[in-house]
Amino acid sequence: MAEYQNLFTQVQVRHTPDPGVPASGGDRRIPDAGFSYWLGKIGDAQLGPVYLGWAGVLALVTGGLSIFLMGMVMLASVSWDPVQFVRLLPWLSVEPPGPEWGLRIPPLSQGGWWIWCGFLLTVSIFAWWYRMYSRARQLGMGTHVAWSFAAAIWLYLVLGFIRPILMGSWSEAVPFGIFPHLDWTAAFSIRYGNLFYNPFHMLSIAFLYGSALLFAMHAATILAVAKMGGEREIDQITDRGTAAERSQLFWRWTMGFNATMESIHRWAWWFAALTVITGGIGIVLTGTAVDNWYLWGQKHGLVPDYPQVWGDPAVPVQPGELDAPMLAPPAQGRPGLDTSMHEVFVVPGTDVQVSFAEVTLSQEIVR
Amino acid sequence: MKTRGLSLMASGALLFAAGCELPPVDAVDMGFRGVGMQHVVNPGTLQDSVQAIAARAPTISGEAPADMVPAPEGTWENVQVLGHLSEAEFNRFMLNMTIWVAQNTGQGCNYCHVVDDQGQVNFVSDDIYTKVVSRDMIRMTQDINTNWSSHVGDVGVNCWTCHQGEALPTNYWFFAEDGRRDIQRYFVNEQDRQIERYNLDETGVRVISQVPLRGDSDNRISTNDTRHAYWVMLQMSEALGVNCTYCHTSARFSDWEESPPARVHALRGVRMVRAMNESYMLPLQTTWPENRLGPLGDGPKMQCATCHIGAYKPQFSNPASYGAGHPALTRIGVPHGGSSDAMMTMGLEGTQGMP
Repeated sequence: MAEYQNLFTQVQVRHTPDPGVPASGGDRRIPDAGFSYWLGKIGDAQLGPVYLGWAGVLALVTGGLSIFLMGMVMLASVSWDPVQFVRLLPWLSVEPPGPEWGLRIPPLSQGGWWIWCGFLLTVSIFAWWYRMYSRARQLGMGTHVAWSFAAAIWLYLVLGFIRPILMGSWSEAVPFGIFPHLDWTAAFSIRYGNLFYNPFHMLSIAFLYGSALLFAMHAATILAVAKMGGEREIDQITDRGTAAERSQLFWRWTMGFNATMESIHRWAWWFAALTVITGGIGIVLTGTAVDNWYLWGQKHGLVPDYPQVWGDPAVPVQPGELDAPMLAPPAQGRPGLDTSMHEVFVVPGTDVQVSFAEVTLSQEIVR
Repeated sequence: MKTRGLSLMASGALLFAAGCELPPVDAVDMGFRGVGMQHVVNPGTLQDSVQAIAARAPTISGEAPADMVPAPEGTWENVQVLGHLSEAEFNRFMLNMTIWVAQNTGQGCNYCHVVDDQGQVNFVSDDIYTKVVSRDMIRMTQDINTNWSSHVGDVGVNCWTCHQGEALPTNYWFFAEDGRRDIQRYFVNEQDRQIERYNLDETGVRVISQVPLRGDSDNRISTNDTRHAYWVMLQMSEALGVNCTYCHTSARFSDWEESPPARVHALRGVRMVRAMNESYMLPLQTTWPENRLGPLGDGPKMQCATCHIGAYKPQFSNPASYGAGHPALTRIGVPHGGSSDAMMTMGLEGTQGMP
C-alpha cells in the first residue's frame, strides 16, 4: 500500500486501517484497528492491530497482579484509608524481608508480599521480553530491541535478585515505592562510602549522559535535513541522497568526523545498553567485593588530596569523644524499648520504678 | 484563549516545581572550592524568619543584679531549685517565665499556681501538675546551661527558646503507635521508630565501613538499615534548616578530619537530647495528665527540632532566646533555706557524665 509520511505532513489521512505486512508462521494479530487524532499529533494516527499471544497475556496478567498487590499492601499499610493512601502514596512502600530472614521466605506480613510482587513482576518482564523477541523474529527483523531490553533486565535482576543472593539476604533488595526506592538509592551510596567513586558507576553515568547527547545530536541532525527526506534513513543508507551528504558534511565541518547513517544507530544502541550493563556490574560489586568505594578510590589513587580547611580536628574535642557505636541492627519488636538501658529507671526523688513494659501495660489498661 | 490557558498551566507547573519559593537562592561556599560544601539559603526567606522571630520575641523586664545575695531563709516555702536567687530576681524570673511559657494560655500565674477555696493564689501548693513539670524543666535548663555549654555555648537557653510563649513547644514526639498494620510495616512508623532509637538510646547512625574491601570488614549493616539512618539524618537536616554538607564533608560523610566543626556540635547536641530525654522527659511521664500523653501512654519528648525549629541556631540567635542574663537558669539551683522536701537533693549532679 502506498504511503508517504513526513514531518511536514500536517494532514491526517483517514482510510481503511493498514493491517501491515503478512508474517510467516502463526499470525494471531487482533485485526481490530482504528485511528486517533491525538496519537496522530505525536506519531502514527493508526491504533492497532495488536498481537497478544500467550506471552502477552501472561505479561499483562502477572504484571497487573503485581501492581495490584503492591497497591493493596500499601493500602493496608494505611489501614485501608483511601484518603491517606492518596496523601501518603509517594511514601508508601512494599518492603523486602528484614535481615533476620536471610534468603528464607518469610510470612506475607514480614516481607512475603515483597517476594510475591517481585516474583510476579519478574515473570511479567520475562514474558514481555519473550514477546519482543518472538514478534521481531516473526517479522523477520533483527532482535536488537529484545537484547537492549535484556540489558535493562540485567540491572533489574542485579538489584532485586543477584546481589541479594550474593549478599545472602533479601533485605539487600530495593523496596517497591516511590520515595522508598529513592531513599534506598541514597542509602546504598552512603552505606558503601559514596558510589560516585565506583568506576562502573562512573562508566554508567558517562554512557547515560552520552546516550542523551547522542540522542540529541542524532535527532537534531535528522530533523534538520527532514525537508530533504532525511528522516527516511533507510533510503539514505542504501541510496545516499542529499540529506545524508549534507548532514554528514555538517558534522565533518563542525568536528571533523561524522558517524554514518548506519553507524550512528550502533553508537546509540551501545551507549544505551552499556549504561545499564556497566551500572549492573557496579552494583553487583558493591558490598560483595568493595565495602567503601571512597577508601577504595583512595587506595588506588582515584581520590585527590583535598586540603583540610577546618583544621584537624575542627574544634577541640575530648579524647574518645567522637567515638560512637555503629548502628546496631534493630532488635525484634520496638526499637528503643528493648535496650537494657531503658528497661527500668527510677523516678528521681521517689522510689517509683518505671519500665517500658509498664508503658505498654498502662496503655492496655487505658484501652 | 488556548494559549493563555497553556501559559497559565506552565507557570503553575513552574511554581510547583520551584516549591513556591521566590528566588534568588544563595549558595554560600564553606569548604574547599569545587567540592560542593555549600550552605544553600534563600536570603528573602531567612530575613522573613529573623524578622518574625524579632517580632514575637518577648520583652524582658529589668535586669539581673550584678551581685546577688540569696533571699534570707524563710522568705518562701517549698522553693526547691531557685534558692540561689534574691527575692527581686526571683520575682523577675517568675514574671519572665509566665511570658515565656504561659503567655498564650491566658491564665498568667494561675497556669502553674493554684487558687484555693478563699480565692487566694496558693504559691506553695504543688497540687497542679504544671508546677511540678515547670520545676523539672527549670532543673533541666540549669543542667543544660551548666553542663552542656559544649552544645549551647556561653549564651545558653531559656524557656522561650523552645516554648515560644506556648505551654507546649511545637516539635515534641511520642512513641509511634504500633497497631493497624496487619499486612505491612508502615513506612511512617518505621521512620518514627528510628528517631526513637536515636533520640533515646546510644544507638549511633554510623553505617559506613572504614576499610575499602568487604573481606576486611566486619560491618554487616544492611542497605535497608542505612535507610533508617538516612531518615534520622534528614530529620536533623530539616530541624536545622541545613543540608548534609553543613556537617559532613561532601565526598565522605563518615570522615571527622574533613568535617566542618558543626558536626562535633551536632553530635554533642544529640547526646544532650538523649540525656535530657533520659533524665527529665521520661521520668515526668507519671506527672503528666492523660491528655498530655501519646498513644502509648508516654509523655512528650524532645528532639533537635524542639529547640532549633528550623534554624541552625535556635531563633537565629535572637538574644531573647539566651539563658545568659537569667541567674535562675545559668547555674544548678539549690533549695531555699527552710524549704523542706525530700526531693530537694536530687537532680543536682547533672547529666554531663552520661553517654
